[in-house]
Amino acid sequence: MNTILEHITTVLTEKFEVPADRITPRTMLKDLDLDSLALVELQVTLQEDWNIPLDESTVTPELTLGELAGVVTALAGPEQESGHA
Amino acid sequence: MPETAAVTGLGLVTPAGIGLEATWRAVCRGGSTARHHPELEAAPVSIACTVPGFDPRVHVPAPRPWRLDRSTQFLLTAAHEAMAHAGLSTEEWDPSRVAIVIGSAAGGVATLESSHCKLLESGPALLSPLTLTGFLPNMAAAAHLALGLGVTGPTLHVSTACASGATALGTACLLLACGACDIALAGGTDAMATPLCAAAFARMGALSRRTGEPEAASRPFDKDRDGFVLGEGAGVLVLERAGHARARSAPPLALVLGHAATSDAHDPVAPDPRGHGLRSAVLQALRQADATPGDVGHINAHGTGTLLNDRVEAGVVRDLFPVSAPSVTSVKGTLGHTMGAAGAIEAALTVHTLTTGLVPPTANFHAPDGDTAGIDLVTGSPRRQHPKLALSHSLGFGGHNTVVVLGAA
Repeated sequence: MNTILEHITTVLTEKFEVPADRITPRTMLKDLDLDSLALVELQVTLQEDWNIPLDESTVTPELTLGELAGVVTALAGPEQESGHA
Repeated sequence: MPETAAVTGLGLVTPAGIGLEATWRAVCRGGSTARHHPELEAAPVSIACTVPGFDPRVHVPAPRPWRLDRSTQFLLTAAHEAMAHAGLSTEEWDPSRVAIVIGSAAGGVATLESSHCKLLESGPALLSPLTLTGFLPNMAAAAHLALGLGVTGPTLHVSTACASGATALGTACLLLACGACDIALAGGTDAMATPLCAAAFARMGALSRRTGEPEAASRPFDKDRDGFVLGEGAGVLVLERAGHARARSAPPLALVLGHAATSDAHDPVAPDPRGHGLRSAVLQALRQADATPGDVGHINAHGTGTLLNDRVEAGVVRDLFPVSAPSVTSVKGTLGHTMGAAGAIEAALTVHTLTTGLVPPTANFHAPDGDTAGIDLVTGSPRRQHPKLALSHSLGFGGHNTVVVLGAA
């Protein structure tokens, strides 16, 4: 889980240019100042990076980053918790 | 008589580099920027003039530039330079009085091509939601710029193929003249050096086949010309009502004294061999400028290096200017054909000719043939000249002819 959260953090800071100090496990996606298409792009990015069937209806603005990491972990399987897919 | 539009800023991204000065140095040196491109090898012609060293994260003044098509990245970079050149800042203007008019031939075609490949390879689940906002022509060529600058006046994309950039300048002048805005960011952008576009142009016989000698391939008006070389880039000009520029003490670089657009109604891609449409556009634009052919000191030609374009264009110049013989140049020998950006890039360079008193040479010209002889083509090295009035010609597939008349400030 931690590795997945770290990966999500890296994607958000490097690709989406979200300031690192705004990212915590309790931060909701809607509080990251991303526009209407960015959430879908984030979902596509995670889907591709982890090769998981992450449904776009799952990635809602109210989801926290911790919850998102939990969803990705559940889809990627426990073997992915310790390393990138 | 509508108020004249003043040009107060220029911005360029071209195969010669990023910025007006890099491009100006290259066109004055008169070399070619054409190179072999391995990524185009699927196409019958793999030479192109592409923007060197362009790093979106460094050069594009916008967050998350990876979301934008390459043509949009060029546009935002060129617009940023043009605004700085004009001394304009978004904090000082009324955004409802600013217009954006940008031409492109193909919109975000690189995004369209790569997205289509992705769809075929991986299915719709991995298709980026940014696909449409990347390739829709209004987004790629205008709306992203308006979003970035907070502009709330009219935002238009115009498309007349390779004349698009010039059409954008003319359309922006109309918006200024009718009072719809005080400032217009006008120009063109295209990034069509892609496998699909290269293959398509090659299939229709438009590209030079001199693949073993890329630097010699783009040779406007030369007797051995055999087609154009695909290029890419963007050009933006800041246009203002002359009174608006005066009120904020912005010195005009040049004035847009006239512009005209005509259509050949002749053939899908070939220019009318009689040149009636181009001739008519020149005369209409000069009439609007209250000028005659004898007043024209310089012409920045469309000069693509195709057999037909250069034949028609040289014929019109010989016919319309039999005595005064303005100097003529084509920068496509250096930059290749930047498609919908060409009209804007060439208008910007024509403005720079008016301000610097230098006409850049036509690269790769060695000798004319019977079709292109009899015009005063500048070759070899830049010519010192101080024209008061200059024309920029642009022609496009579909039979578009656009002429812009620029006057020294």
